[in-house]
Amino acid sequence: MVSDSLRARVGELAVRVNGEVEESLGELELTVNDRYAVEALTSAKNFADVPCDFLHDLCGMDLEDHLEVVYQLSSLRGPQRLRIIARVERDNPVIDSATPLWKGADFLEREAFDMFGIQFRGHPNLKRIYMWDDFEGHPMRKDYVVESHEQRAVMRVRKEGE
Amino acid sequence: MDVKKEKELRDAEAMAEKNILLTGIEKFLNWGRVHSFWPASFGLACCAIEMASSGNPRYDLSRFGYEVFQASPRQADLMIVAGTLTRKMAPVARRIYDQMPEPKWAIAMGNCACSGGPFADSYAVVPGADSIIPIDVYIPGCPPRPESLIFGMLQLKQKIQNPTKARLIKYGK
Repeated sequence: MVSDSLRARVGELAVRVNGEVEESLGELELTVNDRYAVEALTSAKNFADVPCDFLHDLCGMDLEDHLEVVYQLSSLRGPQRLRIIARVERDNPVIDSATPLWKGADFLEREAFDMFGIQFRGHPNLKRIYMWDDFEGHPMRKDYVVESHEQRAVMRVRKEGE
Repeated sequence: MDVKKEKELRDAEAMAEKNILLTGIEKFLNWGRVHSFWPASFGLACCAIEMASSGNPRYDLSRFGYEVFQASPRQADLMIVAGTLTRKMAPVARRIYDQMPEPKWAIAMGNCACSGGPFADSYAVVPGADSIIPIDVYIPGCPPRPESLIFGMLQLKQKIQNPTKARLIKYGK
């Protein structure tokens, strides 16, 4: 159920940030380009009567011709939910970090960096979170080739202090 | 039972009545070891939950004397690799194994530890713990029930009590 006031707010925002609005799975979906992402998020956080001020989830996506960062927003004060999708170039995947808006975006962005190689500009500590530091490549990308059975059976060398 | 074995047992019984038992030192030590495995309390994934529940009164691992899950590998002689061994974890698991004093044994519990299980093709998983740690007993299942774990530990008991037999089976004789 999408309320009329949220629909109106998102419509206004879409004009300002040059985005497209769709409704999918009962939620509004705003697709923008990477340079408008933080502006869209800031506005959505500060919507007057229907603030989407809780970052529910953040993840990367690989659509082969480009990458996407998906922000799932909701609020602790109401039923409103909003999905903001930021398109990122595949060759140079750089986007502004959402950590100034939500401190909780820290680990989520590290995950997106680890799995998809998306660089978050302004992130306080952008390093791998799941894979070990020496791991090469970003395993959730469509073109990632998994190492062979034999290579994976070789024990990696543990670093001191790990 | 063959006649020779029966005669041996009868002799042993006659000696036991005089409070004398005859055995080899290694056999005697193994007899002690197999009735008191001290597993390292080390779990990697959901199999560890089954491992924990085999210690509870319903399954009662302590019937066999195997319930002393040690918090330190230095006090343990059995490692139960319970769960998915990821490549990030592999050197740490190996280090825990290396810290255990001899003699020591290892059990691969669950499909993941046996062969990688459903994650065998994953970028992050070691396909089979036996490429990192020498495994004595493999227990399949996802996860294996506590009965399976107990059966596996009893198989290990058989293996330690009959080293010659285990060696012959290994080389297909």
